[in-house]
Amino acid sequence: MAKKNPKINISNIHELGLLIALIIVMLVFGLTTDNFFSERNFMSILRSASYVGIIAFPMTFVLISREIDISVGPSVAWSGVFFAGLIKWYGISYPMAAVIVLIWGMFLGYFVGMVRTKLFIPTFITTLALWSALRGFSLWITDGMPVLISDKTFRYFFGGDLAGVPTVTWIMLITFCIFWFVSSYTVTGTNIYAVGGNPKAARSIGINVDNVKIMTLMATSFFSAVVGILYVARVASGNSTVGEGMEFDVIAAVVVGGTALGGAVGRMTGTLLGVLFIAMIGNGLIHWGIDPDLNKVVRGIIIFIAVVINSNLSFKRNSGPKED
Amino acid sequence: MTVLKLKNISKSFGAIQALDDVSLTLNAGEVLGLMGDNGAGKSTLVKIIAGNFKQSSGEINFEEQMVEFSKPMDARNKGIEVVYQDLALCDNLTAASNIFLTREIKKKFGIFSIVNFNKMIQKSKDIFKELKSETVPEEEVRMMSGGQRQAVALGRTKLSKAKVVLLDEPTAAISVRQVAEVLDLIKQLKAEGIAVLIISHRMPDVFAVSDRIAVLRRGKLVCNKNAKDSSPEEVTALITGALETA
Repeated sequence: MAKKNPKINISNIHELGLLIALIIVMLVFGLTTDNFFSERNFMSILRSASYVGIIAFPMTFVLISREIDISVGPSVAWSGVFFAGLIKWYGISYPMAAVIVLIWGMFLGYFVGMVRTKLFIPTFITTLALWSALRGFSLWITDGMPVLISDKTFRYFFGGDLAGVPTVTWIMLITFCIFWFVSSYTVTGTNIYAVGGNPKAARSIGINVDNVKIMTLMATSFFSAVVGILYVARVASGNSTVGEGMEFDVIAAVVVGGTALGGAVGRMTGTLLGVLFIAMIGNGLIHWGIDPDLNKVVRGIIIFIAVVINSNLSFKRNSGPKED
Repeated sequence: MTVLKLKNISKSFGAIQALDDVSLTLNAGEVLGLMGDNGAGKSTLVKIIAGNFKQSSGEINFEEQMVEFSKPMDARNKGIEVVYQDLALCDNLTAASNIFLTREIKKKFGIFSIVNFNKMIQKSKDIFKELKSETVPEEEVRMMSGGQRQAVALGRTKLSKAKVVLLDEPTAAISVRQVAEVLDLIKQLKAEGIAVLIISHRMPDVFAVSDRIAVLRRGKLVCNKNAKDSSPEEVTALITGALETA
């Protein structure tokens, strides 16, 4: 019975590897292009990472608890359209509109969770349906046109910078701290891991597995609504076409960060690194002047490689107990 | 002293009669060996006592009081602990987290209440020491051997100061050397005055620790007598149906 040092486990190795990869990628882009190493460009990377990150942290919990939400992109678009529409068409105040949209966001996750836990429909299917429906409805209700809003304070604050750093980045960091805290130090966090590790055991020992799943799905759809509102501040309109492929970026960032698609394994610090990694690659490829369409191909390949590495690690981790 | 008394328990799943009018008592400091073939209703009975299922008819008395368990937590709160055949552990959590799952030690941290991992690890160490197991509390369960996993599962019952412990196939998943350890532990539980119900297919293990033997066949209780008045041969005959009742 060899005693192992609990401080060194494979998730630490994964994050260390990812950090090294991140630095290598940064150096490669920095040395091969002129403008990559500029403050302006770093802020741009941070900004795009932040929109993805805000949703990626709750998504980490969703994946850990063995579920998935692929409706993120259309959910962001619809939340923005809904928010701008409430203000422009119904004359509702900004804070009130935000509250309505956020409550709606939570309800959406609640709906997906109830369908999953009471009707036993996989979340993949329900959120696939939402993915189509929310985008379609956003396009239909706006005729594909942006719903313009005008309040400058709102736009400059939430769409601009705070102390030299994009406001969304601050919000993303706060979100990270909350989710990191919950995952590492609370009973709720432990329960989410327990549900992902062995749902049957979790249920038999008295954890309310259904509630845990519903809660993680509600968090994801809530933060999708938050990002929807933040996008409105950025582009001064509710736009039915924003967030195309965002679910891909979010899930890719989470998985690159070391979370297993099969659940049980994953950490918020890994997701934070994954989010930065994906954003940096997207940005660097633009600096290389690669065609945007090919950009997607390259990102696909990189993410594929990262997932292969990750799944091999998690396969080893899941290879079962040893007999002594 | 009777801790648990089952009165005329029946349970049906649709057309299937899993348990048919089963009455059984369990006394403090007593080990009851519950035996039966696959599908005889052993697991169903355990799940009813543990609050996973509700009986179709009949009643459960716990310490002279009629009780109704609508969820496992109700039974655990009363002091009824189950160690399941598959041990019900979460591979991705540490041994300490598994022991304290749903009963985490917390400390105040400003307005938040956070899990006190250090204290949980410390207490788990004590528990493993009592169990004479070399299990490391801060290690993830996925890396552990069958015996260590058993220690973690039994650690839970130590923690809760249980009055009744239900063991579902406690010796099925572990090596021969560790069987003796588990049987010692069962005797220790008994010495502490805990009522133990052990379900097992392994006849020698059951006879090694049990005071009383009960046999279920097709949902019916066909035997309930002192272990020393019975024999493995008789029990085998009862399980297979070669002998109707005893």
